[in-house]
Amino acid sequence: MLLQFGGSLLAILALAGLAVLLKLGGQPILQTEGDVARAAGEVEDGFVPKRTSIARAGNAALARDASGRIMIVKQHGSKFAGRILSGESSAKEEVDALILDIGEARFGTVRLSLSDASYWADAINRL
Amino acid sequence: MPDFSPTQYAVPLFVVAILIEMVWSRVRAPEAYEPGDTLVSLAFGLGSTVSGALFGGLSIAVVTAAYQYRIFDFGDQWWLVWWAWPLAFVLDDLKYYWVHRAGHRIRWMWAAHVNHHSSQHYNLSTALRQTWTGSFTFGLLFALPLVLLGFHPAMIGIVGGFNLIYQFWIHTEAIDKMPRWFEAIMNTPSHHRVHHATNPRYLDRNYAGVFIVWDKMFGTFQPERHDETIRYGIVKQLGSFNLLWAVFHEWIGMLGDIWRAPWKHKLSYLLREPGWTHDGSRDTSDTIRARWRRRLDQADIHGHQPVANQNPIAPPQEAA
Repeated sequence: MLLQFGGSLLAILALAGLAVLLKLGGQPILQTEGDVARAAGEVEDGFVPKRTSIARAGNAALARDASGRIMIVKQHGSKFAGRILSGESSAKEEVDALILDIGEARFGTVRLSLSDASYWADAINRL
Repeated sequence: MPDFSPTQYAVPLFVVAILIEMVWSRVRAPEAYEPGDTLVSLAFGLGSTVSGALFGGLSIAVVTAAYQYRIFDFGDQWWLVWWAWPLAFVLDDLKYYWVHRAGHRIRWMWAAHVNHHSSQHYNLSTALRQTWTGSFTFGLLFALPLVLLGFHPAMIGIVGGFNLIYQFWIHTEAIDKMPRWFEAIMNTPSHHRVHHATNPRYLDRNYAGVFIVWDKMFGTFQPERHDETIRYGIVKQLGSFNLLWAVFHEWIGMLGDIWRAPWKHKLSYLLREPGWTHDGSRDTSDTIRARWRRRLDQADIHGHQPVANQNPIAPPQEAA
């Protein structure tokens, strides 16, 4: 039984390693407001950004809709994941960047290099 | 009594098939796999076998006890009654449809089943994202009618194993459509892609295991459309490759909700659909679909479609 478990564990590590060797996956980049709108619509159907800021690396973005809701979209492997921010979210400014904690430990904090970090920090901390 | 577990014999085939699909992915669609996601999916598969060995004993005890009260008796050598095997397979697949539907519509069941859906990818490794916590739900009760009809628990276990093996190959984007007659009767990659989608049109559709006819019979069938890109995963994507979080996140969320809820609503957080809240502050698949339909109706009235998701209007269907 233990031998079977060990063999299976080795097999799954080998398969995951092979996925790395074959360079499967990838890191999609957000480049345009259209990219953010598409990703935001996937996070919540019907979310239409009115204001968007994309992190310089293209790995994350913030979007605000007409009703004032703010969404974070971040790269997650070769896909994007996101959340509508709530009052549990907090943001602090660093030099030229925003550090966002959405209040959900496993989602992690997100660092966005933004030119308008103070606007977003203000908006998020007022939620 | 035959001591046979078909899934054990199928494991080498699973590994070879994943290897082949990875090579296909390298050539045709590198984004179909993601190493972190693949590792989590395969670890789910391994962990589920350990969990089954640790907690499956209670289930076996219950069905064995229930078998004593069977209505029909196939005799001491029940495994020699040849026609009982295909009959058991079909009835077990019908059982699978309902236990699977409950797995999506009852939060207690969803807590154990969500991990099969929490990957944003759809490939053969996704098929192995099997639950670690199924023994802590009441899914077993769905098998009791078969046992009481006289099907031996071992026979149900064996046909259930073949059912699971069948479902492995349908977790792929490498196959578009099967021949029309096959698509009409059997569950296929196309039908099951719909099941794993989070697009509002596709939520809570195509619960079938082997035969898609159950969805057609019970009003939950939705064919795949080529004009709509599928998004895989769950409505609130995890955003993390942490295995333990993937295993337990819904249990933690559900128990937290029950703890915080007023007394009269506590049971509803256990038995109502995922996303249900007593104050309506979250979305269920029904509210997401209803909002999507309203939005599309409005867009249709105004002669344009919204930017984010330009999906054609779905024909009205009964909610699952």
